[in-house]
Amino acid sequence: MIDRVISSRGPDSFEWRFVAIIGAILSLGLLSIYSVTHAQPGGGLPLYARQMLWVVMGGAAFLVMLVFDYHKIARLSYLLYVIALVLLAVVLIVGKTSRGAQRWFPIGPFAFQPAEFAKVVLILVLASYYANSAREGWRQRVVLPGLIMAPGLLLILKQPDLGSGLSFLAIYVAMLLVVGVRSKALGILLLLALMLFPFAWEVMWGALHDYQRERILTFVNPAYDPGGKGYHGLQSRIAIGSGELLGKGLYGGTQSQLKFLPEGHTDFVFAVFAEEWGFLGVLLLLALFLGLIMLSMEIASRAKDVLGALLAAGVIAMIGFSMVINIGMTAGIFPIVGIPLPLMSYGGSAIVTTMAALGLLVNIKRRRLTLFY
Amino acid sequence: MTGADPYRRRRIVAALVLMGGFAVVLFRLFSLQVLQAAELTLKADRQHRKAVTIEGERGAIYDRRGKVLAMNMEVPSVFGVPASLGNPSRVARDLGRLLHVQAEEIEKKLRQERSFVWIARKLEPEQGRRLERMALEGIGLVMEGRRFYPKGPLMSHVLGFAGMDGQGLEGVERRYEPYLRGDKQSVVLQRDALGRTVFPRGLNDPGPAPGHSVTLTADEVIQYIAEKELEEAVEASHAKGGIVIVMEPRTGAILAMAVSPRFDPNAVRAISADRWRNRALTDAFEPGSTMKMFVGAAALEEKVMAPGTLVYGEQGRMTVANTVIHDHDKSGWMTFAQVIQRSSNIGAVKTALSLGEARVHRYLKAFGFGERTEIDLPGEAPGLVKEPQDWGRRSLASIAIGQEIGVTPLQLITAVSAIANGGWLMKPFVVSEIRDGRGQLVFQTVPQVRRRPIAPETAQALSAILEGVVVLGTGSRAAIPGYRVAGKTGTAQKIDPETGGYSPTQFVGSFAGYVPAQDPRLAILVVIDEPQDEAWGGVVAAPVFRRVAEQALPYLGVSPREPVKLALAAQ
Repeated sequence: MIDRVISSRGPDSFEWRFVAIIGAILSLGLLSIYSVTHAQPGGGLPLYARQMLWVVMGGAAFLVMLVFDYHKIARLSYLLYVIALVLLAVVLIVGKTSRGAQRWFPIGPFAFQPAEFAKVVLILVLASYYANSAREGWRQRVVLPGLIMAPGLLLILKQPDLGSGLSFLAIYVAMLLVVGVRSKALGILLLLALMLFPFAWEVMWGALHDYQRERILTFVNPAYDPGGKGYHGLQSRIAIGSGELLGKGLYGGTQSQLKFLPEGHTDFVFAVFAEEWGFLGVLLLLALFLGLIMLSMEIASRAKDVLGALLAAGVIAMIGFSMVINIGMTAGIFPIVGIPLPLMSYGGSAIVTTMAALGLLVNIKRRRLTLFY
Repeated sequence: MTGADPYRRRRIVAALVLMGGFAVVLFRLFSLQVLQAAELTLKADRQHRKAVTIEGERGAIYDRRGKVLAMNMEVPSVFGVPASLGNPSRVARDLGRLLHVQAEEIEKKLRQERSFVWIARKLEPEQGRRLERMALEGIGLVMEGRRFYPKGPLMSHVLGFAGMDGQGLEGVERRYEPYLRGDKQSVVLQRDALGRTVFPRGLNDPGPAPGHSVTLTADEVIQYIAEKELEEAVEASHAKGGIVIVMEPRTGAILAMAVSPRFDPNAVRAISADRWRNRALTDAFEPGSTMKMFVGAAALEEKVMAPGTLVYGEQGRMTVANTVIHDHDKSGWMTFAQVIQRSSNIGAVKTALSLGEARVHRYLKAFGFGERTEIDLPGEAPGLVKEPQDWGRRSLASIAIGQEIGVTPLQLITAVSAIANGGWLMKPFVVSEIRDGRGQLVFQTVPQVRRRPIAPETAQALSAILEGVVVLGTGSRAAIPGYRVAGKTGTAQKIDPETGGYSPTQFVGSFAGYVPAQDPRLAILVVIDEPQDEAWGGVVAAPVFRRVAEQALPYLGVSPREPVKLALAAQ
């Protein structure tokens, strides 16, 4: 223990490995965005340059989250959550609508997506809640936090943003799992979920947009509309598969460069990367993500208190879930629900909030050592 | 839930769930990128690869001095993308007005269930600019190579023209198609999701080789002179048409070949096929008195006649095989030379009768009548020379005066050139050189002798008689001060297709000759088809010969050396 404390006083305390992995993933994301959009005509700042700007802002958010003690940040969590809810409500009224969903606040040439912000705030608020609640009853463990989460989830689904909604649920379930529920409580929860499922399905299905329903139907049965809505998934699989083992080289991805692959810079950036870098590149990228998750888990396991551990677990859940679901949907094993690939997909709100969350992780690691001072 | 670290098990479970997700995703990616890689690559290729054949630029055609007669030009073609049209009828109306096409026709095209339709191809550049300004949605322009003839109708019957896809359809364009056409090369293009073609990156091949360029023996300036004089003469005599051929007698090279009426090869779509046929070699006609040159050549060669041999003119009237043959002049005794110079029918018939059927037929064939000259132009007719066994009782007499025989203008001038060329019959040609895209010589025409129908002494003797035609005889209007001109007039009645007999009103007036007679540089044939007022070849055709020659000779650097008196003295 003493060795680690001493060595941690050096540069290692900033966790250079962690930062290096984040930087590597960000760079690969920028390269892929540049590759697929650089030839596109269009006025204003090119997309890759905007993304770079977001990365810089994300870096700032990372540092901000690292500087203040996470206990202090956690104390603000309820206030932040109320702000997030207000923003989620307001965006439904004044937000920018794109493809049937009202998700963004336009800020000049940029757009702010409150759902991304709400995800990190949800981690904070649930971690604060569980850290301050010693009781293990299912009401305290399941129902109350569920009620805390519910308004945010409903507002997000109202946009509708199925991807962010699922992330919300994933964060909640993951933190619940980590806190632990007595088997009786878990059983009740599952029973309740099963009973409510038809009703929930009806509500959810009714809330979905046509394109979302079609995406899900197409996923369940790919022959449902082979020429039409299955196009995204098919093109994505073709792009990934035709990358083969070694890839087509940077800027050489025919399917993405020639626009067969839609949304190449946002939700399907992984397909662009896989086409150009091949399976070997994919292995590299997955190794980077795995490394990021492992380091995060180490932080979680060595956190000095419950709050730190829960915060870390929430961040891992958010990033891990997004990563698996995004790659899964581009590879055709999950429905296309519109979840960005963390640190790679184009999108300012996601980049800034993801980096803020990672800053929080480093914060937790650093504060662990304060015990010994 | 029990143990030293209550979180440990849950952490492991959570980690396992996450790792499980990782594993599933990784396996799926392995399956896509390794196991199904070939299949998905094939699918990708089918989407974005498109094999097309591109062709090198068609070769140009130049005149003798390297002046461009046919070249390529990038012109706009307009197409429609029916799927992206908002209002086909409005677009069709706008296009119809600009392109001068029925709007309904365009609308029909635009309403087809197709992703791409041509609306009009190879438009005028100005139309393209106006279309571009209109910026109609769903309507696009592409540049295509169009064959362009910068001199318009000049030499059009020789050049021919190329079709919409650049294939030679007539004339030199057709005959030299394998040379002119550019190489074909199969290229794999990339196609994007909108169906637009994108050249693959790094396509820095030289591309398919361009076609060879072709240089003609014809000279733009002489051609211009020939066409101008022919058009003027046709107009002045209210004729149906006419032909002028200018040949270099020593080689058989065509210096000019003018056919009236003319046509513009840049706008052939509006013209009937009849107009662009090169009648100088596709159509045979009964030549009339110009044939007397060859009967005369045979008689001199066979020593049946000498220039001074006396022939009785029967006072202009003779009966052969129950038909009466008339002469224009009522002559008594005349020399053989005078027979030709006065164009005496009776004298010519008598000459033919003394030669006999077999010899007349043999010499006609020897001069190339009744067989193709094998000029390097498409569509040549062989003409008609019947075999002696098919001849009637009157045939020998008829052929002697240029009837019952079909010759093409090209055969006629080629045969006249043989007389000018000391008896050597050359194979006529219009292309002198072919060069590849880098300018390397690929092919060069060497003048070819076909045979020698008469001895040089015979040719010389005949030439002296033919000079007399111009000096003293029917061809006096072909005389050019300072040059010795040899030639023969011809006036033929055309056969009336209604009666089957000779028409009393439709004639073909012609003059065939060469100059300077002692060292022939130019052999020129002038044929005027159906002149209205005056039909005599000596009147309608001989002056055209003179005007063409007197402009072409100085242009070729042939200076007037011989005083006209010398020619007189030769008599």
